[in-house]
Amino acid sequence: MPRIELKHVTKMFGKFVAVDDLNMIIDDRSFVTLLGPSGCGKTTTLRMIAGLETPTEGTITINDRVVFSSEEGIDVPPDKRDVGFLFQNYALWPHMTVYKNISFGLENLKWPKDRIADRVEELLEMLKITEFSARYPSELSGGQQQRVAIARTLSTGPKALFMDEPLSNLDAKLRMEMRTELKRLHRETDSTFVYVTHDQLEAMTLSTMVCLMKEGYTQQYAPPLEVYRKPANTFAADFVGSPNINLIEAEVETATPLVLKFGTASRLKFTANAPLALKEGKQVTLGIRPEHITIVEEGATIEAEIQSSLPSGMETIVALDLDGIRLHSVIFGDLDFEVGKLVGLTFKGAGINLFDREDGRLIAQGTLTKA
Amino acid sequence: MIKKARVNQLKSFFKKPHNVILVVLVVVLGYLTLIPLITIVVDTFTVHSSEVRAIKLPMGSFTLYHWNKIFASGMTSQKTFYEPFVNTMVVAFLSCVLAILIGGLFAWMVTRTNIRAKSFISTVFMFPYIMPSWTLAMAWLNFFKNSRVGGAPGFFTALTGLETANWFAYGLFPIVMVQGIHYAPFAYILIGGILQNMDANLEEAAMLLHANRLTIMKKVTLPIVRPALLSTFLLVFSSTMSAFAVPAFLGSPVRYQVLTTQMYRTLNGMNPGYGYIIALVMIVIGVAILMLNQWVTGRRKSYVTITGKSSNISLVNLRKARTPLTVLLVVILLMVAILPLVSFAIESFIMAPGDYSLANFTTEFWVGQGSPEIANSEPGILRNPSIWLGLTNSLKLSLIVSAFAGTIGLLSGYAVAKKRGSKLSTIVNNLTFFPYLIPSMAFGAIFLSMFAVRRGFIPALYGSFWLLVIVGTVKYLPFATRSSVNAMLQLSGEIEEAGTIMGVGWIKRMTRIIFPIQRSTFISGYLLPFISCMRELSLFILLVTPSTRILTTLLFQYNEKGWNQYANAINLMIVVIVVGFNLLINKLTGASIDKGIGSN
Repeated sequence: MPRIELKHVTKMFGKFVAVDDLNMIIDDRSFVTLLGPSGCGKTTTLRMIAGLETPTEGTITINDRVVFSSEEGIDVPPDKRDVGFLFQNYALWPHMTVYKNISFGLENLKWPKDRIADRVEELLEMLKITEFSARYPSELSGGQQQRVAIARTLSTGPKALFMDEPLSNLDAKLRMEMRTELKRLHRETDSTFVYVTHDQLEAMTLSTMVCLMKEGYTQQYAPPLEVYRKPANTFAADFVGSPNINLIEAEVETATPLVLKFGTASRLKFTANAPLALKEGKQVTLGIRPEHITIVEEGATIEAEIQSSLPSGMETIVALDLDGIRLHSVIFGDLDFEVGKLVGLTFKGAGINLFDREDGRLIAQGTLTKA
Repeated sequence: MIKKARVNQLKSFFKKPHNVILVVLVVVLGYLTLIPLITIVVDTFTVHSSEVRAIKLPMGSFTLYHWNKIFASGMTSQKTFYEPFVNTMVVAFLSCVLAILIGGLFAWMVTRTNIRAKSFISTVFMFPYIMPSWTLAMAWLNFFKNSRVGGAPGFFTALTGLETANWFAYGLFPIVMVQGIHYAPFAYILIGGILQNMDANLEEAAMLLHANRLTIMKKVTLPIVRPALLSTFLLVFSSTMSAFAVPAFLGSPVRYQVLTTQMYRTLNGMNPGYGYIIALVMIVIGVAILMLNQWVTGRRKSYVTITGKSSNISLVNLRKARTPLTVLLVVILLMVAILPLVSFAIESFIMAPGDYSLANFTTEFWVGQGSPEIANSEPGILRNPSIWLGLTNSLKLSLIVSAFAGTIGLLSGYAVAKKRGSKLSTIVNNLTFFPYLIPSMAFGAIFLSMFAVRRGFIPALYGSFWLLVIVGTVKYLPFATRSSVNAMLQLSGEIEEAGTIMGVGWIKRMTRIIFPIQRSTFISGYLLPFISCMRELSLFILLVTPSTRILTTLLFQYNEKGWNQYANAINLMIVVIVVGFNLLINKLTGASIDKGIGSN
């Protein structure tokens, strides 16, 4: 089955390194998102797997068949890789009707006419666009065009489907709808999806694996919730999650017990889940998810002043000033807080992250208590 | 009260600079383009001074003589109109096909394959278009002329001893070849622009759906670019149809007449009425082509596929053919762009035409004092006062015309884009485009008849330098307006409004906001008129007088007298000035005619 493997894949545009030494295994029937800010090489990666772009170096294997190898000089053309590609702007052919757009690939495969008609009918139904089959793309709305593009891509039954930010041109409501649709399609078509997006929410909600990229490097390749719970570095921590994770720059004051000093004169004790030895004076960064900061009446670990309170009904986002450092907290429930008030804070759970400030890497996870 | 409201309405209308520009342009351009058209029509029904004896009616009276002679007089009509008409259509059609084939091939190579030396190819490929159209015609003669018609034989005969056939040296074949090559860059610019802006994803999508290259070409690329291709064809067709210099150089020796050469003969000779009718016919064809073009590009199926630059054009890998193909293209380019210049240089140093031995080389035609045995004691180019006069006139004229046409074009483009969709704006837009449709020679002829005498407060301008300036400005306005409209349409209105809100005055908005943003596009609006004017012949040929002569008309005269060396030397001079100027502007501002193509 189509297991896709990338080994040491590098792509240079002139001197600019778009993708650097990428290694990745995409399991059969998984839904993998390539996530990252614009210009991080995610689209290039996708196009290299599809064969639309030629890597400078490396090996790409689809379904145990080497489709590209710089060493052996193999470069299988895109149409022989049995993959589908959904373009960001759909790339529907403006001079063909919806029906023609969908049947084009099947005609190229020399299918008999009646089988083509059946298959197109089936796809039109699957994507609920039967009534538009005689229209031209310019006469359809964005969402309808999107569906036609999906139907066209699925027509030849590719085992792997690549999507390049397919939802970015849709409005918020349609995007929600199409997300559900894509998940359904993934289940129904029984194929492997590789999906490019810069929207972390899309990546979180859709995929079984997330490949987080930055400036051509893979930052983390893990299931979405693992990226959220256990970010590999400060970039991953900051990119995933909304509101953003709170990052506090701190210094190790004493090693045992591990006391961290930050702001002007604030201290907290960090208890790692696994044994950990840090030198005194080490520069670190604390990463605390907003939902892990709670406001309490008594038994506070530390005190902070409320700067703003944004209640949305289900939850309230509170901005806090902790010794000159701004923190965000999410409090569930329809609560509001008085701006300027001093409140007590505690830090929930054992999922507080501690990063090395030098290279940004995760050192440990643990709990935060009163020093 | 109502009257006061009216006045206020008018006041606020004229407070907006773009409205003022539009109204002024309607009046001035209306006078300079529509009145001439009416004059032309009237002229076809009028007895001219040279025809008084033939028609036996007093000068200025009404007659159908010309129409009768041109369309319904057996052999006379056949020779003066029908034959040249068919020739024109054949020449225009074939040159057009050739231009599109060459231009399209180069455009495809440069935008869609990984061929090497793209920017070199793109720059040098423009040379044949930048150079005067007869450059290649003269080069063709330098190489292939034969002794049967042209006196001394060309390089080819001198080198191989073979006499070139008449059909190969003169008439239809060389005219089509030369015009095809000359207009190929034009097709290249248009097709290259389409190919570059066409979303490459459309082709990639087809490729992923198992279509081979041929199928993609046939089923996807061609149908999508077809409307644009057709419109390119029409534009090139109307240009080739109204070309004068090439048929004049290559056709005349074997009496191969086209409409423009016929027009020159009749307007310059005894029967201006014939010429005006031919001009009218050409204008009608021009308008028909324009309307056809608008119909082609305005239909429901003429989809907008230009979705902005596709960031990921994957280039066709030519693999092993890459280097050989690059070499082939470069060699072709050198042959059509550089070799002609070499031939001019050589020809201008040769004493007796056709003899290429070293002993026959002389600098006489460049720096000689002039001797009675050669060309009526005409001094060498560099010490010839009439050539210096021509050079200064040419430069002065081109600079002034480019300043006028560029600026007016910029303003009209601004105003047209600002009021897009309104009636006034449509009128101005069409008026500025109209001169493009009138063949240059006819345009010159109209202005000749219009400004020969004083009309109202407008003095008789014939013989004055300013007549040339007016003709040039109006004729080249379309280039400047087009590039200005394009530049303005790419600019959102908010950009200017942001300035208005902050209280920035109109002049400052234009010079500090709008111009700098679209600088290179606007500058090409100045560059095109300059280049066109520098190499223009047919527009000015009827209007110049000895004191206002320019380089191109001098060249034509020398050529007619058969003083080949002078003609070659002058041509070399024009080409060097034009190409040099283009490269200079390109280096300084980044604006160029082939803007954007091949830069990726």
